[in-house]
Amino acid sequence: MVQAVLKATSSLDSHRHARMEVLKEKVEEEEAAEREEAAERAERGEKTKRPMEVRREETTMTQEMLRDLERKLSEIEVSVPEKLLAFTKDTIDTSKLPLSYQSNTLKEEHLLQVADNFSRQYSHLCPDRVPLFLHPLNECEVPKFVSTTIRPTLMPYPELYNWDTCAQFISDFLSMVPLPDPLKPPLYLYSSTTVLKYQKGNCFDFSTLLCSMLIGAGYDAYCVNGYGSQDLCHMDLTREVCPLTMKPKESVKEEEKAPPKKYAIKPPRDLTSRFEQEQEMKRQEAIKAEEENRRKQEEARLLEQENAKTDPLHGLRVHSWVLVLSGKREVPESFFIDPFTARSYSTQDDHFLGIESLWNHKNYWVNMQDCWNCCKDLVFDLGDPVRWEYLLLGTDKPFLSLTEEEDEGMNDDDDVENLGKEDEDKSFDMPPSWVEQIEISPEAFETRCPNGKKVIQYKRAKLEKWAPYLNNNGLVCRLTTYEDLELHSYKSMQPEMDRVMEFYETARVDGLIKREETPKTMTEHYQGRPDFLSYRHVNFGPRMKKLALNSAESNPRPMVKITERFFRNPAKPADEDVAERVFLIAEERIQLRYHCRSDHITANKREFLRRTEVDSKGNKIIMTPDMCISFEVEPMEHTKKLLYQYEAMMKLKNEEKLSRHQAWESELEVLEILKLREEEEEAHTLTISIYDTKRNEKSKEYREAMERVLHEEHLRQVEAQLDYLAPFLAQLPPGEKLTRWQAVRLKDECLNDFKQRLIDKANLIQARFEKETQELQKKQQWYQENQVTLTPEDEDLYLSYCSQAMFRIRILEQRLSRHKELAPLKYLALEEKLYKDPRLVELLKVFV
Amino acid sequence: MGAGPNETFKVPPPASGPERGRMNRLYDMEPRVMDDDMLKLAVGEQGPREEAGQLAKQEGILFKDVVSLQLDFQNILRIDNLWQFESLQKLQLDNNIIEKIEGLENLTRLVWLDLSFNNIEAIEGLDTLVNLEDLSLFNNRISKIDSLDALVKLQVLSLGNNHIGNMMNIIYLRRFKALRTLSLSGNPVAEDEDYKMFICAYLPDLVYLDFRRLDDHMKELAEMKHQYSIDELKHRENLMQARLEDEQARREELEEHKAAFVEQLNGTFLFDSMYAEDVEGSKLSHLPGVGELLEAYKDKFVIICLNIFEYGLKQQEKRKAELDTFMECVQEAIQENQEQGKLKIAKFEEKHLLSLNAIREESELSSIETKIVEYSEDITELFNVLMTLEMQLVEQLEETINMFERNIIDLVGLFVENVQSLMAQCRDLENHHHEKLLEIAINILEKIVKGEMDEDLPDDVRSLFVDKDTIVNAVGASHDIHLLKIDNREDELVTRVNSWCTHLLDKIHKDEIMRNRKRVKEINQYVDHVQSELDSLECGDLLD
Repeated sequence: MVQAVLKATSSLDSHRHARMEVLKEKVEEEEAAEREEAAERAERGEKTKRPMEVRREETTMTQEMLRDLERKLSEIEVSVPEKLLAFTKDTIDTSKLPLSYQSNTLKEEHLLQVADNFSRQYSHLCPDRVPLFLHPLNECEVPKFVSTTIRPTLMPYPELYNWDTCAQFISDFLSMVPLPDPLKPPLYLYSSTTVLKYQKGNCFDFSTLLCSMLIGAGYDAYCVNGYGSQDLCHMDLTREVCPLTMKPKESVKEEEKAPPKKYAIKPPRDLTSRFEQEQEMKRQEAIKAEEENRRKQEEARLLEQENAKTDPLHGLRVHSWVLVLSGKREVPESFFIDPFTARSYSTQDDHFLGIESLWNHKNYWVNMQDCWNCCKDLVFDLGDPVRWEYLLLGTDKPFLSLTEEEDEGMNDDDDVENLGKEDEDKSFDMPPSWVEQIEISPEAFETRCPNGKKVIQYKRAKLEKWAPYLNNNGLVCRLTTYEDLELHSYKSMQPEMDRVMEFYETARVDGLIKREETPKTMTEHYQGRPDFLSYRHVNFGPRMKKLALNSAESNPRPMVKITERFFRNPAKPADEDVAERVFLIAEERIQLRYHCRSDHITANKREFLRRTEVDSKGNKIIMTPDMCISFEVEPMEHTKKLLYQYEAMMKLKNEEKLSRHQAWESELEVLEILKLREEEEEAHTLTISIYDTKRNEKSKEYREAMERVLHEEHLRQVEAQLDYLAPFLAQLPPGEKLTRWQAVRLKDECLNDFKQRLIDKANLIQARFEKETQELQKKQQWYQENQVTLTPEDEDLYLSYCSQAMFRIRILEQRLSRHKELAPLKYLALEEKLYKDPRLVELLKVFV
Repeated sequence: MGAGPNETFKVPPPASGPERGRMNRLYDMEPRVMDDDMLKLAVGEQGPREEAGQLAKQEGILFKDVVSLQLDFQNILRIDNLWQFESLQKLQLDNNIIEKIEGLENLTRLVWLDLSFNNIEAIEGLDTLVNLEDLSLFNNRISKIDSLDALVKLQVLSLGNNHIGNMMNIIYLRRFKALRTLSLSGNPVAEDEDYKMFICAYLPDLVYLDFRRLDDHMKELAEMKHQYSIDELKHRENLMQARLEDEQARREELEEHKAAFVEQLNGTFLFDSMYAEDVEGSKLSHLPGVGELLEAYKDKFVIICLNIFEYGLKQQEKRKAELDTFMECVQEAIQENQEQGKLKIAKFEEKHLLSLNAIREESELSSIETKIVEYSEDITELFNVLMTLEMQLVEQLEETINMFERNIIDLVGLFVENVQSLMAQCRDLENHHHEKLLEIAINILEKIVKGEMDEDLPDDVRSLFVDKDTIVNAVGASHDIHLLKIDNREDELVTRVNSWCTHLLDKIHKDEIMRNRKRVKEINQYVDHVQSELDSLECGDLLD
């Protein structure tokens, strides 16, 4: 229960974290109680060493007693949390499992005895260590030695050949179930076949399966029983950064600065005071340092917030993972794989707090090194008996790093135990695995995750995976990243919202590249237009209130301001080429800014007031000098003319209309695109690869048709190879050459025979036909006679018989006529064939 | 430009003489002069309409702004007073009594010129109208097509109802690559039965002839018919073209050499020129033994000339590279400076817009004043910043220019020095040759005196060997001429390279001064503008 709740709290969406805080506190109270209890138990295990003492006393324990103890132990299992109950023998049909699952062979029994002996010696020598994880029960309640549970298997899928993809598959394929007691190894260790079938398991199940597959793929892999951090044991990735969000660091290439040219101008003389600069620098630095400090503190605070409070059970949580030693499969350095997350860790990683023992399919080693500094100081030289105590002698691990003197010296020290063990172990090998062949069906392999779906929580990110074709929109992977802990505004498909659309400008007549929208503005970027427009920004005002529907189509929002920018038009002089024009529609003003000439730093500007005014006499004022305020870098004669300004203004008025219209059209286009997108998103079909033989119906049909054609072809060939002459040749004495006379006879006989067969067949059909007809007539007669007395059922029966009989008769008729048609043709065909037969051709030629 | 022959859009012209006379009589019997009044009237009538027209009337229209002018049926005899119409693009002078094309020199922007229905006898006075695309000379008295060479953009040419009689006139039109429409009907040539075919063949790019489209079939036929003569023509044209190109290339090469100040030193030109005016020298060359001597001398001399030539080209390259780098650097510096200036102005403008708006919206008088003060301080600040930037640039450029000046003067100095030393070698050769020649001459003189001279000498040469003084003088004169030539060449080179250098430096200095002045003016103008904007705002506020 504790684990389940912990998992729930730790896997919360980070932005919901705050809301769940209350719940978590409640949970924590319960948890605290549980924890105390667990800690107590742990203490008992460690300090009072009760189990070991028990074992030491029972050095003469018999097999029966052992069984008894095991039964007792299995009774304890009743207290296993509910969640695990879903995966106990209740749901596993043990009766169908093979014999090797349900009993032990003699060799296995022997091994168990050896293991018990080893365990006794071990607890005697190391009384303060926890009992070894040697032979847990399997799904049939039979104790099985852990090494025999590993079944090295090479999977037929190339994806599973390398450790990373293999581990990833297992982590995706199985659901994680926490250990019943986080401080102890489990009492049960199921076979990998069962684990695969139910697609769930604890860390020992995970690592056993992974180890089986890795050893099968040629890695030097070992299952490890040890202690892991809380995050590791709970498969909690919420404090890890999602690997998908980590971007590869861009290598910033500094462009090589061209060497200063001969006549490059010298930088202006620096006239500022050096002293003042220094003072200023000092001040700046102080400020910076302070800021840095604050930032650091803030960061630390955040980090602390993010990191959970220290785990009270730190170092006591049992975990199982996989160790891959260097050497085989070109692995350069030994490393750990956490089977839950499929992540690889160095053997020095902080998450791994200690190792009790490790095993592969051949042997079992107990760690004799001190784990005070986690796994950082461990040496994985399994051939070193001082550091690693082995169970069976027949190991292929050579004594690697020990010199001979040391070897001897060491051996002297451990003489007592080694000698005794060697005596009985020498002739003993690890029995073969009791587990059935591990198999994963292609469907299951493709579906990957249980039910095809898996969700992983990372630090500020959520990764969801789906099996291919599970979602009808083709979604297979979704990564949601959270910027912060706040709620997000989601970008919707509603018009007039924040949105950016990008276009292929070459495919569009208007050269639009990008359109950005906010609720009040619309910005468009263009490229390659004949009018050199590069940018249009429209500000919208609040919509006029109308009774009609408030859609952009029926009631467009009024435009307040349109800003347009233009690229330089090389055909025009710069001071006549407009760079920016602003239509202030509400203020009835038009502002123009021209391009800057290459030798100038200021540009022409012009502002038109297009308000029509009326003079004192009521006449319309056409144009006055103050209606056009202009600044010209190089004043020109003709632009001062009112006529020029008037014409320019008239032109601008038209262009304003045009721009407004274009903006309106853009709005309409947005609506249309959104509509289209919605339609598209609703209706999509997945294109299936032609190599996907299962799903591609068309190719399947085609393939089946091809197979059929092939089959028919084959039949035909067989027929073609039929030797018509064989039965007749057999009548002749073997080995002799045919005479002409014989050949002619042979031919005639063969033809006659065929003719006879054709006639027989015709007769047969005829006979059947007649028989059918007679029967039908009889029946009809019978019907006519008894018509009055017949029940409706009988009548129905009669009618259906009639129709069937008529059908049969018709078919026979057809067959007969067809036979009559084809028989002469077939006869001729055979005759021709015989004439061409290589055995007869020479002899018959003369006659023809 | 499609085929839009002018005539089709026009008022039907009076068909015959008497009718036309009557019409003219209706207006004015007398030929009229194109005076100011007439032009003003026409401009006023043809100017903008309605609202724009009112404005135009109010302001008056300047002749130089007029784009299009129509002066038909005015009985004009002489084209005059059009020099002000600089921007004129379309001019209609049809249906007048003009006899000579003149007074159009200033109308360089003209695209459309209509001179139909006049009394023009020759095409002339169109040499400056390089932009002309449409020319109509319909119904005149022209008998020869020529003087149109400047009209490279000509697309439509209307020459109907003239007196053109020679088919060869059409070949002249081959040079107008853009010509698509031609009318020649009503000319004597058009009566030739081969008229259409001939034009099709010789002007294959023509699309409309006498207002009718030329179909492709016709063109093919024509091409076949005239293939031989056209091929020959083409061949000649190609040859001409090639020759022109050759000449162009040669001229360019010479220009290049001239720019290096070593033109015509890559051969015997200098040596030949030494003997060109040297009468005695050529006489003496007939002496026995002198021929070989002369050959050897020439070879050595030419080698030195070539050395000078190559060295000159190399030096020219160097100077050019130096100048290019300098220019590039200066441009970069100016660009960067301008960018900075632009940035400052952009920043200012951003702020300026805000503060102007703020001042406009501000209602309290005191805060308006503070804001105005603040704003004018900003303006001053901007002015100072821009001016500082400019001063900085001036200083930097001055330094760079000085450096360049030193370097280029050094380069030129080195060049001159080396050329002079090579020229000295030439002089040495000449001296050496002179001595040898003198020796031979004296020997011969001695022989002649002694009567031992076997070979026959030409009389004019023999006449030199009268006495020692004569021969020495003759040889000396030749020598002097040679030396003079060499000196002249040297002097020319040195003077030219030095003057090039001074001019270049002058120009650089002047350009920089001009640039500086322009920039200062620009800054002042801008700041004044901004200030005046503020002032007008103040006035407005005060008025409010």
